[in-house]
Amino acid sequence: MDARSLVKSLHPLEVKVLLRYGTPDAMASGDAIASGGDRLDSARLESELGYKEGHSNQAFSWLSAKGLAAEDGREARTVYELTPLGREFAEKGAPEERILRYLSEKGPSRLPDIAAGLGLEQKDVGSAFGTLSKEGALSMDGDKRAVLSTEWFEKAHAAGGAKPRVAIVRELLAKAVASEGGLLEESALDGPEKAAMAGIARKRGAGDAAFRAAERERVWYRLTADAVLAAEELRSQGVTGEELGAVTPELLQSGAWKESTFRPYNINAPAARLMPGRRNAYVEFLEGVKDKLVSLGFEEFDGGLVETEFWNSDALFMPQFHSARDIHDVYHLAEPTKAKSIEEPYLSQVAATHENGGASGSRGWNYSFDREFTKRLILRSQGTVLSARQLPKAKVPGKYFGIARCFRYDKVDATHLSDFYQTEGIVLGEDVNLRTLLGFLEMFAVEVAGAKEVKYVPGYFPFTEPSVEVHIKHPVLGWFELGGSGIFRPEVTEPLGIKVPVLAWGIGIDRMALMALGLNDLRDLFSPDIESVRLRRAKNI
Amino acid sequence: MPKIEVNESLFFSLLGRRFSARELESRLEGAKAELDEWLEDQVGPVDERTIKIELNDTNRPDLWSTAGLARALRVRETGTRPEYPFFSREGAPAASKRKVVVEESVKGVRPFLAGFFVSGRAMTDAVLKDIIQTQEKLCWNFGRKRRSVSMGIYRTAIIQWPVRYKAVAPDSVRFVPLQGDRPMTLTEILKEHPKGREYGFINEPHALHPLLTDAKGAILSYPPIINSNDLGAVKVGDTELFVELTGTDLVSVTLSASIVACDFADSGFAVEPVKVEYPYDTAFGREVTFPYYFQTPVSVEAAKVSKLLGKPFSVQAVRDAVRLMGCATESHGQYVTVYPPEYRNDFLHAVDIVEDVMMGKGMAFFEPERPRDFTIGRLTPVELISRRAKAILAGLGGQEMIYGYLGSGKDLVERMGTGDGEAIRISNPMAESFEYVRPSILPNLLGSESVSSRAPYPHRIFEAGKVAFRNPLENYGVSTRARIAFLLAHGSADYNEAASQVATLMFFLGKDYSIAETEDPRFIPGRQARVIYKGDPIGIFGEIHPRVLEAWSIAMPCSAAEIDLESLLV
Repeated sequence: MDARSLVKSLHPLEVKVLLRYGTPDAMASGDAIASGGDRLDSARLESELGYKEGHSNQAFSWLSAKGLAAEDGREARTVYELTPLGREFAEKGAPEERILRYLSEKGPSRLPDIAAGLGLEQKDVGSAFGTLSKEGALSMDGDKRAVLSTEWFEKAHAAGGAKPRVAIVRELLAKAVASEGGLLEESALDGPEKAAMAGIARKRGAGDAAFRAAERERVWYRLTADAVLAAEELRSQGVTGEELGAVTPELLQSGAWKESTFRPYNINAPAARLMPGRRNAYVEFLEGVKDKLVSLGFEEFDGGLVETEFWNSDALFMPQFHSARDIHDVYHLAEPTKAKSIEEPYLSQVAATHENGGASGSRGWNYSFDREFTKRLILRSQGTVLSARQLPKAKVPGKYFGIARCFRYDKVDATHLSDFYQTEGIVLGEDVNLRTLLGFLEMFAVEVAGAKEVKYVPGYFPFTEPSVEVHIKHPVLGWFELGGSGIFRPEVTEPLGIKVPVLAWGIGIDRMALMALGLNDLRDLFSPDIESVRLRRAKNI
Repeated sequence: MPKIEVNESLFFSLLGRRFSARELESRLEGAKAELDEWLEDQVGPVDERTIKIELNDTNRPDLWSTAGLARALRVRETGTRPEYPFFSREGAPAASKRKVVVEESVKGVRPFLAGFFVSGRAMTDAVLKDIIQTQEKLCWNFGRKRRSVSMGIYRTAIIQWPVRYKAVAPDSVRFVPLQGDRPMTLTEILKEHPKGREYGFINEPHALHPLLTDAKGAILSYPPIINSNDLGAVKVGDTELFVELTGTDLVSVTLSASIVACDFADSGFAVEPVKVEYPYDTAFGREVTFPYYFQTPVSVEAAKVSKLLGKPFSVQAVRDAVRLMGCATESHGQYVTVYPPEYRNDFLHAVDIVEDVMMGKGMAFFEPERPRDFTIGRLTPVELISRRAKAILAGLGGQEMIYGYLGSGKDLVERMGTGDGEAIRISNPMAESFEYVRPSILPNLLGSESVSSRAPYPHRIFEAGKVAFRNPLENYGVSTRARIAFLLAHGSADYNEAASQVATLMFFLGKDYSIAETEDPRFIPGRQARVIYKGDPIGIFGEIHPRVLEAWSIAMPCSAAEIDLESLLV
């Protein structure tokens, strides 16, 4: 045992026990232990150290856990606890005593008159009469009146005679009122008292009785040899158990701390868990990406969750007959189903572009554009919608981005959500071109994704030409496609009034988010479980 | 995006050389394709080894076959364009020995047919498998599940020419379909045959259904559903085949026929043209001999290429690059005119040439360049106030949450006891749990509480996000709003705590507000308040009604608030 470090972990409640009882003499004296001289129990600490019962038990429990005390037997005992009814009896007298007094004052009386006169229930009076008549104290005369037995009364008041039960009950009640907590130990009662107590105490349903009988256990402890060493160490360090604990305002105001020393705390105890208010780790990740893009000169855009076929697809030059526009690829609204109108002149210009190229220099898709279908309401299925909507109001030069919630008609699993974020943006400028686009992709790869190697490959998107995918070698995830991009087709920009090239890009940040949060299932990003969200931590990416 | 499986030895023999997996992977990038799976050391007969490849360009159906993909890589390697002399052009039909007569009756049903004849070698297992795959990919992805294009192949030995394409009443004819064991009417095929059940929706709306017969009335097929078991069953060893494609869009049908014809030619078959006679006008005339070259040339100025690609390109450099993509070119001054190859029709605009120049040169030719335009970055006002609000609620002990925006009617409507008057219902939900768009954040917060009774209390959670609901005043009939909401759940969560949190939030956001009485079924009457800002109701808070808690199986007192953030920007 390392006594030096052990004593640092001792609480004053333990310290005082060790100092008082942990002496070599006490340990050496086998007789003392046998006689109970150094057997300790709660009652002894209460009387000798002034502990409360709870403190005693804590001291024994902690000392035992440290191997400084050991249990040395236990014994059951019965205690009687005064009930509220018992307190009332102590004050007013028990019903039997009151009946006797009534009869001695008023002479023979009928039971109902007694009950009325004393304010008691008739049945209580009846049962008291039964008990008292068995003891010979009362009898019933020919007029059904209770009569006090003169013989019994004289015996009861004779000096040196056995005390009647009624008098013993009165004394028990008085003793209990005077004791702490209204408790009487069974072991402290003599024979007649025990017999009297049996009539007025109950284990259960004690609400109707004067005392509640309870079984308590008395546990004995003795200190171990280590306790002696610990006590010696305490003495050599001058620890008294009276050192200061918590620093209180009173302590500071009184200056009492100047006269004493501070108890050292156990600094190795595990810190208690706190539940702080906290931001969500995934949201913080998304905000981090936004901040990065803002730092690169991009202005954020946003929009509604419900869109029209027009902005979701037509404005992006996806033909209305395209298979990606079938009913089962987007979510439709049950009510309302259509927008009232589509903004002009964009509707006419987009329609013309689909039909024959309009003013875009394209030959168009060569079909009849459906101006009703285009009003159909759907849940936004791609973030590029926001880019298209931004075009009519965009500045040149201009850089815009959005992290948009999108909805896909997809089976939900670890890698697919029906409801997810897409990160998209556009760059407008007189002189932007493929190489500028690659420059942006490189910036995203390095600045947003922390990539060391970047690769560009031709891609395909219906609304950009040329189209380029960017693949990166992530320090942890290895090679993967970070995003898709391209230069918006003139069929997209011209009908929306834009005459300069527009770079369009989208980056996938979900895999990076999962890695940053230590997850491997996209569904966990939106977990409703409070405990798992509370404990989630973002690593640096 | 289609995925194809190519026969390894057929693929490399068409390509003219073998590639390692690494080489193939980088070559495929030039065709917007990805190597999906290739076990170079796979066991089994050499002839049966396959490579799985994913194609990303939905406008290049010519790449969705072994022959087509091999052709693109071969041209890119060698710079030599293949010749397909059997194509007819406007005003210059090729000589044809066979013809198909189209009848007026198909005009309203499935008006277009293109066809050709192949001969000259015996069909092998690998080529047959590839043809079947081409048919599937073309008709499913490009032909919109056979609606706009479908394809049939027939052994020609017993076909009596000319073939007739007509429409008939579905109960007027019967024949034994492929995979069938008895003669069936067209109606029976739609009801009982697996292909009938799969594609029947295309013909069902029509009174007359398309039918292909030979001169004597023997049935070839019931487009676009199923071939006849007699004339329409092609086997390994067949040497003479008739290929036809029908559909609703002449350009798609013609291009598909061209692609399949080029694939057959590349595989060593002789392609013999077939003349199709229409009783009505088509974009290519009443008599069209297929395969038919219909593509129109597209021109681009070299300066335009240079501007979009960010590197100087001469006219010759443009021509050299697009030749590697299979295009024939001419130059006129500073302009290059591009003639798309027979099997491609993806040149809608000059920018499509620009991309072919990029791909012809390869991505490595273009160095990334830092942007030069200066612009100022900024977040939206909603994002900014949302961040401030979230910081305050976190400071008040709240844990921020984030939720999906779709939910079930049970969660978003029934359990809240609000009725679905304002909630947006989805007409084609994938599952019950995605029936509605959330009109409020509160159901999500209660949902969290209902699954988190084991998390140590107190619970204080919040979310800032979007909600959407019906609003007849808007052009779309719906509104999307940014809101913030919190839920307090613990033994003594009550109105007063919610009121204090709202007061603290509004104080530090610097927004003066007042409150008004309200009657919202989600909260206990008399323990709820409307938040009024500049005269408008912008939020609500109070004690959640035990009826709502019971509906969520929550046994802990809850109070909550929801406030519209956008309204605070005024």
